[in-house]
Amino acid sequence: MQESTSQVCAPAGEQESIVRVVAVEADRAWLEPEQGMSCGSCASAAACGAKGLGTLASRLEARRYAIGRASASGAGIDLADLSVGDRLVVAIDAGALLKAAGLAYGLPLAAALAAAIVAQEATGSDGMALLAAVAGLAAGLGVMKRAAARMAARGALQPRLVRRADAVRTLIRIHRPGS
Amino acid sequence: MREYLLLLVSAALVNNVILARFLGLCSFMGVTTRVDTALGMGMATTFVITVSSMADWAVEAWLLQPYGLGYLRTVTFILVIAAAVQFTEMSVKKLSPALFRTLGIYLPLITTNCAVLGVALLLVEGRMSFVHSTLFALFSSLGYTLVMAIFAGLRERLALADAPRLFEGPPLGFITASLLALAFMGFSGISG
Repeated sequence: MQESTSQVCAPAGEQESIVRVVAVEADRAWLEPEQGMSCGSCASAAACGAKGLGTLASRLEARRYAIGRASASGAGIDLADLSVGDRLVVAIDAGALLKAAGLAYGLPLAAALAAAIVAQEATGSDGMALLAAVAGLAAGLGVMKRAAARMAARGALQPRLVRRADAVRTLIRIHRPGS
Repeated sequence: MREYLLLLVSAALVNNVILARFLGLCSFMGVTTRVDTALGMGMATTFVITVSSMADWAVEAWLLQPYGLGYLRTVTFILVIAAAVQFTEMSVKKLSPALFRTLGIYLPLITTNCAVLGVALLLVEGRMSFVHSTLFALFSSLGYTLVMAIFAGLRERLALADAPRLFEGPPLGFITASLLALAFMGFSGISG
């Protein structure tokens, strides 16, 4: 029995998705996420243009990553048993995902806005405010790069291999409020 | 400070992008099955709306208006939005490949989000200064994120509810969305 969607139900606190094995080497396997969001994969995607910027394949290819033997054996999977086309379930901590989104989008934006407001108050010029916003955005991106490198070094952004997608159906942990 | 607060209430609650202007409904229905996914999408959209509104303000003030090119506004803004999304995607990819792999799911979906273009066109009507228009865009997108998170929370609970089979999934989602829109109509009293 195959899990049919890329976004699968995960325990609270984790976000699971399905990846496909695209290459297997002696000591690692290369994985590529499946397109699973509603936009871009729905029947009207060709008409609405959600696939317009770059092909779907090229975007997914850019998100390929490798897992090592230890990571695979941690999920009870032997790297030698994997073959191209196998589907696997990977999970990432939802908190880490939100932190990453805040880091990538929130930090540069906050820096740009702060710089723009300060420049507007100081000079009263829209042009200076715009220049300050661009400078703030660049500075924010620089800080984001360092903070993201620290997060990546801790392994917080590395998805964890959970199981084969077609081996066991995902269990839905019923999480009722107050329980 | 008071005018910024009024701008926040007006843009995020009274004239909410999703529930009052009915923009961005595709992502509203498509990416709200989990709260964390909805929040991530909201943050990415907030970034793109704000950055593209900055660029749109500059294009409008220094190119379209002075040269009488207002009839090219929609096409130009679409180009600017697509460029802003590409810029964001490329920046994150270059600066942090690990972050890009983690967040890559959100950005391609924003290019065709009509909320981004809608906010940019609303800003032109408002004829605001750079900082005011940027803050209006930020607050509008925070309103978008708020509604996405609320709706995702409701849908997470509804997924476990014992609903009649015909109402399961999108039908119940649409009914919930309409009730949420009615609730947000209550904020319109603030502007009166």
